Amino acid sequence: MLLELENVSIPTIDQKHIIVNNISFGVKESSIHAIIGPNGSGKSTLAYTIMGLKTYKPSEGKIYFDGIDITDMPITERAKSGITLAWQEPARIEGLSISKYIALGIKDKKNAEALIKEALEVVNLEPELYLQRDIDDTLSGGERKRVELAAVIAMRPKLIILDEPDSGLDVIVTEDFLNIFNKIKILNMTILLITHREDIGMVADYGTLLWRGEAVMTDKFPKVMVRYCAKAGLKEFCRRTLFKNGEKCFDDDYIERIFREESSQ
Amino acid sequence: MTNFDYPEDILQSLDDYNIDIRDFMPGHGSGAKLLLNFNKISGIEQGDGIILKGREIPNGIVADIVIKEGTIVEEPVHLCFGVNKETGVQEIFPRIIAEDNTDVKVQAHCSFPKANGLIHKMFGHFYIGNNCNFTYSETHYHGENSGALVSPVGYMYVGENSVFENNFNLTKGTPGKVKIMLDIYAMKNSVIRSNIRAFGKNKNDSVRIRDAIYLEGENARSVLKMKAAARDGGEVLMYGITEGNAPHCNGHVECSEIVLGRGSICRARPFIRATDPTSSVSHEASLGRFPQKWLDELQAKGLTEKEATEILIEAMLKE
Repeated sequence: MLLELENVSIPTIDQKHIIVNNISFGVKESSIHAIIGPNGSGKSTLAYTIMGLKTYKPSEGKIYFDGIDITDMPITERAKSGITLAWQEPARIEGLSISKYIALGIKDKKNAEALIKEALEVVNLEPELYLQRDIDDTLSGGERKRVELAAVIAMRPKLIILDEPDSGLDVIVTEDFLNIFNKIKILNMTILLITHREDIGMVADYGTLLWRGEAVMTDKFPKVMVRYCAKAGLKEFCRRTLFKNGEKCFDDDYIERIFREESSQ
Repeated sequence: MTNFDYPEDILQSLDDYNIDIRDFMPGHGSGAKLLLNFNKISGIEQGDGIILKGREIPNGIVADIVIKEGTIVEEPVHLCFGVNKETGVQEIFPRIIAEDNTDVKVQAHCSFPKANGLIHKMFGHFYIGNNCNFTYSETHYHGENSGALVSPVGYMYVGENSVFENNFNLTKGTPGKVKIMLDIYAMKNSVIRSNIRAFGKNKNDSVRIRDAIYLEGENARSVLKMKAAARDGGEVLMYGITEGNAPHCNGHVECSEIVLGRGSICRARPFIRATDPTSSVSHEASLGRFPQKWLDELQAKGLTEKEATEILIEAMLKE
């Protein structure tokens, strides 16, 4: 496993409540692993804790990355060891050019120019149109998110945490983003995808369902999705949407069984 | 660098602001220019449609610049007011007139690399006619000893339908004691953009900038952005004023200041006033440190907090 969480609990900043309770799961190298769950289930908290933000620290448990205990490692060191995060709503900073922003995380400074251009092309932004622009309010929401993706791709990290990459995007742009995730996977980077949408999650190989702060299950993504639908009572939605490559993921009997199991609990 | 007799370190300070030194050199390019070495005029060149005259006075010069009606100036007019001495008094009286329908950029540079008790004063009067597009950019370099005492005062009248952009940058070297006062009067349908940037770097640096925009004409609009950082005991006060005194005028003041290290002080006083019921004037101010989220985002790319802060300061003060 590239990333492993072992009995991790995460409290609120004031330490009075637990947001994520005693969760354990692993993320396989070179996979896309989705963390799925409804709003408020602790997905972003988990993402920030794995990244190592100052105000997000586990009260219990351990986090291992590449076999090393990183539970107490500061954010900068985690980034240097190969973890990074693409924010749900990345900051807009006047005066900071896209080329400079993307270059920040590049270790191979000699090839920075080529890596920046390549990263922009991966996210479908024409380098000549964007390199000199700033990451400010003149970029649309979709453009800013693409630049963020380009910046993390150019870093060549081992693990990219994508926090709700689809938020605020229309359907066409979302489709484009799914293609971008596959391109990232081809570049041999592992993706931890935080989302609450099944259509985004379907690009994932594996998934973990987070429900009220607890990890209900970790398995292949479609199975996790069925459980999510069962918990939320969305049978028709489940039947209608769980397709992969045009094929139904499960027959109706399987879906019925999972829903029965869930309602009996 | 050139066969022109002008102090090399003054020219070098242009380079630090990424300004091409050659643009300021007589004999290069077609732009009008005026170079002052302390209180002596070192060079003066005219341009098409531009009258540029300088007259030496005991402690400085009076400089008259007239952009003739309808002139569209391709290359900026360059003004360099340098002093390569530790002490002394330099007084500049620029009088700039842009006649109607002109389009011009003026790039001024005030450089005092050895300042240690040096006094620089400026009393500027700008008259910008109707339907003009006028950009005035002024960069300052006061050496590394916090030894300059600089007090420019400027009055600017911006005519109907004109666009006036004012850029003031004091971000390289150490400012010393600086006190700046600008009054800009905006007439009907004019647009004012004023960008002020300063960086106080030690306890001997004290920067006070008062930039006032008076929206006197119907539908006049303005944005005043004042950005500053103070470190290691430096002190910066940004006093941004906008008054809405005409129908449907619209102004905004934005002050952003970052405090680094103990003993440093940043103060912001956005002051807005409206005397017309159809006018709209707003302000925002933020002081202290950069938002934690910004730092997190940069640190997630492998930067330390200190490195991230440096990058953000550079971005904030970028011209």
